[in-house]
Amino acid sequence: MKQGCFDGPCQKDKETFMSAANHFVSQTSFSAAPAASSSRTALRPTQARTGISPRRSNTAAAEASLITRLKAGNQSALEEAFNLYSAKLYNIAQRILGEAADAEEVIQDVFWTVYRKAKSFQGNSQFSTWLYRLTVNTALGKIRRSKKNQEVEYDEFLPKFQKDGHHLIRPVIDWSDTLDEKYAAQEIHILLGKALDQLKPLDKSVIVLSDLEGLSDKEIAVTVGLTVSAVKTRLHRARLFLRGKLAVQLGYSAA
Amino acid sequence: MPKRTPAPKTPTGKTCKQMSALVLDYVTDRLSPRLTREFEQHLRICPDCVNFLNTYKKTVSVAGSISYSAIPAKVRNNVLVFLRKKMQRILACLVYLASQFTS
Repeated sequence: MKQGCFDGPCQKDKETFMSAANHFVSQTSFSAAPAASSSRTALRPTQARTGISPRRSNTAAAEASLITRLKAGNQSALEEAFNLYSAKLYNIAQRILGEAADAEEVIQDVFWTVYRKAKSFQGNSQFSTWLYRLTVNTALGKIRRSKKNQEVEYDEFLPKFQKDGHHLIRPVIDWSDTLDEKYAAQEIHILLGKALDQLKPLDKSVIVLSDLEGLSDKEIAVTVGLTVSAVKTRLHRARLFLRGKLAVQLGYSAA
Repeated sequence: MPKRTPAPKTPTGKTCKQMSALVLDYVTDRLSPRLTREFEQHLRICPDCVNFLNTYKKTVSVAGSISYSAIPAKVRNNVLVFLRKKMQRILACLVYLASQFTS
């Protein structure tokens, strides 16, 4: 923005600002209706598991309308986007960060960026993918700055093989039923959550988007800025690490 | 020390190590028919790989079952208050600038 235009008569800029100001004045009311009270916008867990973007065509049209209004700087559109996506994005941020307080900051930054940068959304990916990307990038940036990540070396928890390609430690034990017998579901989730926090941040992002949120490898690749092949490599390695952590927890070899 | 049995190989010569690299695509049905056949042939002769596959699938299923929690009301309100303040500040700036142009 050129500073000079504010100092003197500049008819074009004057009209632009008047138009923008009028638009903002018309949007001053910021509805406070919570998402939970709206059956249209509330996300059920089953919806959440399959992805945040509504699949039906009428909701796709509603999403297109929402994007148009966001690009025009419409304030109520931002709240609508917030009501639709904040819970999902908060969960992703929290899973990646492992801390609720930081996740709140991430969501705050993400929606403020959505408001400021909506015009830069080209529609080359789904709107939800763009939101995921903003969330993951903001969360990863926060981890980089805080250096609080507790990642560990993977090797100890990955399967190992002999020179001839056979499993190094035999027999390999099937502990899949033992896990349920020994721990309640809640305890298993806590165990897995702790193991997740030991993954490298980008690997954690990939596994959160894939196994917890149900995104396809292609969607994840767009979200985190990797090739599909690199996503699959990271996903496989992260899963092997988690498998190893669970095995060790049960007293078996990770190998 | 017990004598090690030789590593089972499928008729195509694939080892457990090579099979483990295919697990990700196998569990999502994205292996080619030829590799799927080889993978399953190997499973028929290698109980270690069967157990490995079961624990891999269990890990994925546990991760997928982590429950979806709602955004806490306090967090929701905090963020909404933040966004409202920011937008009102922008609005105030624009109104001010517009008034400067019109005056």
